[in-house]
This record gives sequence, structure tokens and C-alpha cells, in this order.
Amino acid sequence: MKSGDATTINIAETSGGSKGKAAAAPTIVATTKATKHAAAGWKRGIAIFDFILRLFAIAAALAATTTMGTTDQTLPFFTQFFQFQASYDDLPAFTFFVVANAIASGYLVLSLPFSIVSIVRPHAIGARLLLLVFDTVMVSLTTAGAAAAAAIVYLAHNGNASANWIAICQQFDDFCQRISGAVVASFIAAVIFMLLVVLSGLALRKH
Amino acid sequence: MKAGALELGQASIGSAPRRGVNKGVSILDFILRLVALIGTLGSAIAMGTTDETLPFFTQFIRFKAQYDDLPTFTFFVIANAIVSAYLVLSLPLSIFHIVRSGARNSRMILIFFDTAMLALLTAGASAASAIVYLAHKGNARANWLAICQQFNSFCERISGSLIGSFGGIVVFILLILLSALAISRR
Repeated sequence: MKSGDATTINIAETSGGSKGKAAAAPTIVATTKATKHAAAGWKRGIAIFDFILRLFAIAAALAATTTMGTTDQTLPFFTQFFQFQASYDDLPAFTFFVVANAIASGYLVLSLPFSIVSIVRPHAIGARLLLLVFDTVMVSLTTAGAAAAAAIVYLAHNGNASANWIAICQQFDDFCQRISGAVVASFIAAVIFMLLVVLSGLALRKH
Repeated sequence: MKAGALELGQASIGSAPRRGVNKGVSILDFILRLVALIGTLGSAIAMGTTDETLPFFTQFIRFKAQYDDLPTFTFFVIANAIVSAYLVLSLPLSIFHIVRSGARNSRMILIFFDTAMLALLTAGASAASAIVYLAHKGNARANWLAICQQFNSFCERISGSLIGSFGGIVVFILLILLSALAISRR
């Protein structure tokens, strides 16, 4: 019995009593081949969907990184006591956000070849397992960056009376809009990563 | 006929060590779930029972600190509670996987929900970390002062409760990888 795209079974010529079984064996070979082709087609569909989702995730993560990274608002007046300049590196949570999304974008670009390998060779589980491992870590990293920035954005919009933290959004409009938009884009990238993990799991299941 | 029987015998010998590894993976999965349950439940309780009142007061500043003064911490407690409840509910499914190591559809369900819970847990933990960092250091640009300098015990509690949550995150990543490994081994 050889392993490969088709399985062949050597049918030995036996007495007439087993003629029925000899007739059934070629049907089994044909069914195995058909099932493998159907599974390959299904896996290929999943792999193509995976590739398209990765492209969307690259767009989302890059948008988040650049939007947050290019924040720089200076109000047109100043006093001795208060700073009227706001940029992303004033808040360490935003710096972490930019770094996390940059890492996610870079990883996504590097994972595109592996995704293409999964399309071309639907039965290769090594590439899929590798992608699943790194996608899981990226879910965590992206969500962490997005949530930390979201906590600060929430504070910037609403302030906190108990801690005596004022809502800085009331002065820095443009800065606030940018950071809110960047957080939304990052959460979209995180959801896409989650979908990628589930897709990889589905494709591995039909092995 | 004889050749067919021989092939069948070889196939069953090949799958027995695979089933053994799958069983080991399932047992490890169950143990990790218990560890994650302890971590997230501990975090939720540690954050949820914060209550510090300083022994003096003025008209202008509050001298009482609780977890629900900051909405992010409320979200943290709720997220950890949801993840703990999910872990308790997923323990029977994990035991089922120890018994039936070859089950694939239920492992797929576990991967799906584990991913969702990983995202929820990470969101809660990192949002709370951002606020804890602010509480420790403050921010000069935004004129936010570091409340930790007054509320020592509150600060220690909220910082310590993050540890269980981050441990839970690492465990969840391992759980997803284990389930994927078990699914692909056939």
C-alpha cells in the first residue's frame, strides 16, 4: 500500500466466494480519492479566505499604528503652568499601543507567504500549525494594546472624579478623535486575528 | 484477504501511541484549566474586595478608594468573573476529552470559546494595567496625579490582582495550542 494522492490495493485472485469483496475494493479506492479531493477543495477555500482576512488585518493594524503614531496637536495658546501639546508618546500606554500594532503588522506581512503555502498545498499541516501558534499570540498582543489604549481614551473622554483626573478631550479635540479611531482599528484587527485562529483550527480538523 | 487483515493490524498499532499522546494532551489541558480558574478567580476576588478609607478628610478630595470608582476596574472584575465561569463550565468538556481523546468537533468548540475568552481576559487585564500604571506614576502632561501615593493598600491590591489575570492569559494561549495539537494529530 503506497501513501500519496491515491491509494492502491493489490487484489489477490481468490476463490469464487470472495468475488463480492473483490468487486467492492475498487469502489473503496474511488471513494477515498473523492473524499480527499473534496477535503482538499474545502481546505483550499479556507486558506484563500484566511489570506484575504490577513490582507484586511494588515490594513487595520497599519491604520491603527500610523493614526496613533502621527498624533501631534498643539493648541494655539500657552501659559506658564499648563502644557498645550499632546502627542502619543506623552502616554506610555499609547507608546505600547503603537509598538504592539507595529509588531502585529510586521508579523502579518511575514505570514503571507505561509498563507500562500497553505493555499497551494492544502494538506500541509506544519504551516497551518505554525500560523495558529503565532496568530494566538498576536490575538493576545493586539487585544492588550487596544484595551490599554481604550482605557486611557475612556479616561481622556470622561475623566475620573474620584481620582481627580480631568477629561483632556475637552481641550484636545483632534488628538482625541485620532486616538479613538486608532483604538477602533486595532480592535478590528484583534477580531480578525480571532477569526484566523478559528479558521486554522477548522482547517486542521479536516486532516 | 490475508494481506488486508495485515494492513488493518498495522493501522491499529500505528494509532495507539497517537491516542496515548492525545490522552496526555487532554489531561494536561484539564490541569491547565484548573490553574487558569484559580488565577482568574483570585484576580476577580482580589480586585473586587478593594476598599480603603484614609483616616482624614477635607471638603475637596475624596479619601475613599474602591474598585468601582474606576470603570476600568469594574470591567476587569466582570471580565475575570466571566472567564472563571466559562472555565468551570468547560471542565466537564475537558474531562470528556480525557475519556474520548479522539473527539474533534467538541475540541473545535473549545478552541472557539477559548479564543474569545483569551481576548476578553487580555482586554480586561491590559486595560486595568494601564490604569494601575497611571495610578503609580500619574501623567504630567495630562495633569493626572498619582493616587498611589495616598492609597497604599488599595494600590498594592490592584497591582497584585493583575498577576493572576496575566497568568491566566498565558495558560489560555497554551490551552488553544494544546487543542490545536490534539485536533491535528490524526
